[in-house]
Amino acid sequence: MTAYIGRRLLQMIPLMFGISLVLFALIQAAPGGPEGALLQGGRMVDARMLDAYRHRLGVDKPVPEQYVRWLGAALSGHLGVSYSSSQPVSKMILERLPATLELMGVSFLLAALAAIALGIFSAVKQYSAFDFLGTGFSFLGIAMPVFWFALILQMVFGVWLKWLPISGTHTVGATSFSDHMEHLVLPAAVLSLRYIAGWSRYLRSSLLGVLRADYVRTARAKGLPERVVVGVHAVRNALIPVVSVMALNLADLFSGAVITETVFAWPGIGRMFVQAMLARDYPLLMGILLLGSVMVLIFNLVADVVYAALDPRIRYD
Amino acid sequence: MDHVRRTFPTMSALVWLVAAAACGSGSGDAANGSIGGRRILRIAYLREIDVLNPFTSQNLVDIEFSMMEGLVTTDDHNSYVPVLAKEIPTEENGLVTRRDDGTVAITWPLHSGVRWHDGAPFTSADVCFTWRFVSSPGSQTYNRDQYLGIKACDTPDDTTVVFTWDGLYGYYDGLFEAVLPEHVFRGMSTDQIVNDEGFNRGRTTLGTGPFRLAEWKSGEYIRVVRNDDYWRGAEYPRIDEIVWSFIPDDNTRLNAIKSGGYHWSQIQPVQVKDVAHLPGYHVHLISSNSVMHLDLNVGTPHGRLLFGDPAVRRALFHAIDRRAIADQLMEGTVALADTPLNPTSPYHDESVQGYAFDPSLARRMLDAAGWWPGRDGVRTKEGQRFSFTLLNRAGSADRTAVGQVIQAQLRDVGIEVGFETLESAAWTQRWRTGEWEALVSAWFLSADPSLTSLYQCDGPNNMTGMCDPGLDSIMEASDRRLDFAGRKPLLNQVQERLHDDAFTLPIYYNVVPEVVSDAVGNYRGSGTNFGSFWNLWEWTLR
Repeated sequence: MTAYIGRRLLQMIPLMFGISLVLFALIQAAPGGPEGALLQGGRMVDARMLDAYRHRLGVDKPVPEQYVRWLGAALSGHLGVSYSSSQPVSKMILERLPATLELMGVSFLLAALAAIALGIFSAVKQYSAFDFLGTGFSFLGIAMPVFWFALILQMVFGVWLKWLPISGTHTVGATSFSDHMEHLVLPAAVLSLRYIAGWSRYLRSSLLGVLRADYVRTARAKGLPERVVVGVHAVRNALIPVVSVMALNLADLFSGAVITETVFAWPGIGRMFVQAMLARDYPLLMGILLLGSVMVLIFNLVADVVYAALDPRIRYD
Repeated sequence: MDHVRRTFPTMSALVWLVAAAACGSGSGDAANGSIGGRRILRIAYLREIDVLNPFTSQNLVDIEFSMMEGLVTTDDHNSYVPVLAKEIPTEENGLVTRRDDGTVAITWPLHSGVRWHDGAPFTSADVCFTWRFVSSPGSQTYNRDQYLGIKACDTPDDTTVVFTWDGLYGYYDGLFEAVLPEHVFRGMSTDQIVNDEGFNRGRTTLGTGPFRLAEWKSGEYIRVVRNDDYWRGAEYPRIDEIVWSFIPDDNTRLNAIKSGGYHWSQIQPVQVKDVAHLPGYHVHLISSNSVMHLDLNVGTPHGRLLFGDPAVRRALFHAIDRRAIADQLMEGTVALADTPLNPTSPYHDESVQGYAFDPSLARRMLDAAGWWPGRDGVRTKEGQRFSFTLLNRAGSADRTAVGQVIQAQLRDVGIEVGFETLESAAWTQRWRTGEWEALVSAWFLSADPSLTSLYQCDGPNNMTGMCDPGLDSIMEASDRRLDFAGRKPLLNQVQERLHDDAFTLPIYYNVVPEVVSDAVGNYRGSGTNFGSFWNLWEWTLR
């Protein structure tokens, strides 16, 4: 197992080179450049200044040269300096990471608990009223545009009922934990709904298949109570495909939720990514995208390892 | 029992949400009141700013102006008013003198007793330092070229600055919107100042303004607190704290102000009706120095073929119903524009009347110019169809909508308009190359009325290929007048000639709708590129 993990980690190195090359090329392929940010506010800027700005940033050089320069710095641990804020990219990412981790973490936890419960119950009571309700709820969750649902929640809980704040992480000046939690409710609710909807569907269908398997029938024939049959024997196997989906979603923990963070003015990575993209802040974009890529690779590996833990038949050598 | 256990996770999640919601009930209003007796002004701001150095920031720098002050600022009448300067130099008050060698000495008397936030005295040396920084190559200041006419900066004493200009420049009184503290940057190169993280991000940021920076939480807010040592007197500022929350999403900002948590916000014109009757708030429609206009490009061969004839350009403008765009499309929130200069500016020429909507006149003019309707209704001349593409910027819904109306109305007189939509950065790049035929756009102009860089034959921001040497000489002359009485008639001529040349069609002045709580006093919204927070020092909060 250790050798397997070591091999997978080694394979990631050339893969990361390839990914960084593709990302760099893609980012540069988008028309326009960072100088566009100078005009974004509509303020009149002497157009000659734009060329000077491009030159200062070095984006007037050929793309391969820029890539080599970026790669050289990245290999020595420097992700570069953001064009717009003149701060080191790594510092900016670290500043925003806690907010994203918190929001995504809470949403994941809520979603995992709810999705597993919903999935199991829907499968065990297939075609019951609860199953239909759960199915309807899931489709609604998958189909509903995130930004729209977010705005509806803001309208109801923020504007009409005035129960919850609708943006930011806390009321500036108030330091209580409950104030912070209130700010977390709406974005976490929006985010978790989406995951609940998706994951519970996977678990339901996977569990339905497992419940018809021979070994489950054998377990029932042995006279085991239904709770043990489902809880101990069936669910464990049914979780395997769900785990791989969840693990891939886990990479989002580090890349953030672009729409939710923007709509709720949550100071996470996702929102910074949108800003960086609009401003063509190449170093910052590369930093965020690479972080996301590394996490996808890592969580893929984690998923593979968890398979083995869940299913003793799976062995890696 | 079994049943209860299985549903427990779902239940716990719901309980968590409901409990948290219940905790929140009733305390949502806390945001609006003061905390611990401090008067906190809460602002729902539309973007996060990039850096705190007002000269290198790429955004509008209204937040910075709460902390940093300049020699002048712009008031709600589109006029410069002194801040750190005691008065604005003019020839009448004797502070502008012409020397025999053609240079001009401009003397700025400064307030005495002004201190930086760290207690160091503010002196004339800081002003000269600011000039040296801004005018140096690589300072990255958006209007650096305007500072290049200054050849020397002298400091006869701590409260007097004398600039030697190499000639007459009409915009001399609108520069130095901020002054940088020399003692913070001493020994640094221009590049080091531009990239100085300490000043840019708040660790060493200081100014002479009514508020000091307290914290900048990346992605979330900037908080400033009262400067107890403010030079205007101990009674100012009259607010203890200001929090600018960055809420980039238009709908969220609207909901934020409706939820009662904020005192000030900027919204979109089409959202005005949603808050028009919001109790405790008033919507102020600030007419801005930004004019929505249609540009026709004669810089490309195809563009010259279509738009080269002034009669044809005028015909196109007669075919566009600007009134309908302002009143119906923009729901009456905006004012029709006849010239690029806003009526709030003293330089606006009232005698210029925009092109009246008259489609039949437009058709006759196009007929006379030799463009006859073809079989598909589109006009042709010598085998060339009158068809062009409007370059459109994605994400600016108002420009798109205006473009669509223009498309429909030109179709009505036999002209085919296609659309090409590009995302903002890509749009900017294309605009600069001049490889486009027509576009709807808007600039944010300063209070200085010079239009030279936009419409001069080789003006740095003239991407339309338009060139009228007669207009150029009037514009250049107007730029060299320092007195209103001398400059005004020249700028009137500029506005008239721009109208006759018909390369650009002013449509309406953009409005910036600002929603302001009734608890706020002394708010005087301004539509210049300096923004509405220019007089924060006297704002009050109930």
